[in-house]
Amino acid sequence: MSAPLLSVDGVTRRFGPETCGVLAVDNMSFDVRQGEFVSIIGPSGCGKSTLFSMLGGLLPPTSGRIAVEGDVITGPHPAVGMVFQEESCLPWRSVIDNVAFPLELEGIGKSERHDRAQHFVELVGLHGFEKRHPAELSGGMRQRVCIARTLAAKPRLLLMDEPFAALDEQTRLLLGDKVLQIQQELHQTTLLITHSITEAVQLSDRILVMTYRPGRLKRIVEVHLPRPRNADVVTSPEFGATVAEIWSDLREEASRGMAASEVS
Amino acid sequence: MATQEALTKGLALPRLIAIVVILAMWQALALSGLLFRDVVPPLEALVVGFVGVLISPDFYANLAITFAELLAALAGGGLAGLVVGLCLGASRFASKAFEPWLGYLGPTPKIILFPLLILMFGVGVESKMAMGAVSCFFPIAISVAAGVRGVDPVLLKVGRSFRARLDQMLIKIYLPAMIAPLLNGARLGFGVALIGVLLAETKLSKQGLGFMVMDAYQRFDMPRMYGLLIVSVGIAAVVNIVLEHLAIQAGHKKPTKH
Repeated sequence: MSAPLLSVDGVTRRFGPETCGVLAVDNMSFDVRQGEFVSIIGPSGCGKSTLFSMLGGLLPPTSGRIAVEGDVITGPHPAVGMVFQEESCLPWRSVIDNVAFPLELEGIGKSERHDRAQHFVELVGLHGFEKRHPAELSGGMRQRVCIARTLAAKPRLLLMDEPFAALDEQTRLLLGDKVLQIQQELHQTTLLITHSITEAVQLSDRILVMTYRPGRLKRIVEVHLPRPRNADVVTSPEFGATVAEIWSDLREEASRGMAASEVS
Repeated sequence: MATQEALTKGLALPRLIAIVVILAMWQALALSGLLFRDVVPPLEALVVGFVGVLISPDFYANLAITFAELLAALAGGGLAGLVVGLCLGASRFASKAFEPWLGYLGPTPKIILFPLLILMFGVGVESKMAMGAVSCFFPIAISVAAGVRGVDPVLLKVGRSFRARLDQMLIKIYLPAMIAPLLNGARLGFGVALIGVLLAETKLSKQGLGFMVMDAYQRFDMPRMYGLLIVSVGIAAVVNIVLEHLAIQAGHKKPTKH
């Protein structure tokens, strides 16, 4: 068996001093294999976003080791692409120039990078909007621009941190559909961080459930829904059963999180 | 946009009335004889003075000198302010240690340094440029530092995640993200640099708009002096309007938050 694309080994992240600081991520270990779609799910405050920053090389772990294609990462890695939770289009650039941004940083000439960016603009369904600026687009379209931009850099591993968190439910489902379609087309290995159970079940092969503070790996759920999938998968009985299974795991963690936030 | 136009429309009339009232009061004061006639000349004398200034070649030569001094001051003070502002904005430590100094020194009257600048740079245009540069350094440095801190942190994460080099981060992320505060800094810097340059010209000089105003004053040529004042204030106001307009336009390109 070939080495996993991403391997996370005993990763811990603490903020502040050893005695009184916050332990955000505690001794997490897991692998993501080539071509897999894995979701990490957990209640708010479980250290999901901290883990995301560490996987992207933006934040060093306090201890433990993260390797991509066998390479221990010490900073942003060329094989890893990140899509952020926040609004992250460059507002002064048009859609095409946003998507071409990583290619521009690599020093690729204008006509070639526009050609290459065009493919990803079409892939996310934004054909006809190339010359528009982010302020002229809806939130869902802007998030698609960011996904296209990250894909344009041809990452072997796509990391997404709650990319649909700010969108309404219908847009989320349809965007999930788009992500499924892209994943099936590109065989893109993807790690999605989310707090939405339906989103995780709709999209994933495996789901890692995290505990509330400190963030630990609670359980790994395999999703046996057939592929190719689309947004209609949410109506199937298997879907409901998987959602219920994860909810029973998550419920306890979510109520711990809620109790903690009420105390503080 | 439509409401904005309507608002501007509603404002035009009261503004016009205010101008008419001020001019009428001026004219009444001029004709009343309460003050020396030459100190508050009637409006027709002001118009004569204004036109007289505009048609004298002398005025354009001096205007060019003042502008050259102003541009040199903005280039020097602006560049220094940009570099210092970027450093202060990038380092929380530097900002804590040194930014209060800018805050304290910024509003002090720089004209007190003019004798020193004359000793250092001579009585010619150089000391005026230095005066303007010292004046505009502070507001530009403070605006740039605030601008750096105001850049949306997620845009910096985007740049880092695509492994942008330092120069790429500066040119492709920081500068475009900071265009509104940069233009605002330029506007504030322009204002105080103009004050510095003109003030220096009124003190010890043989050329420039400030010199012309003092020259007219010493000859007691009041219409000419008023003409120069109107032109100077008018030019400064027009530049301010243009810079503010640019800053607002740059601000509009930001995304609407949902």
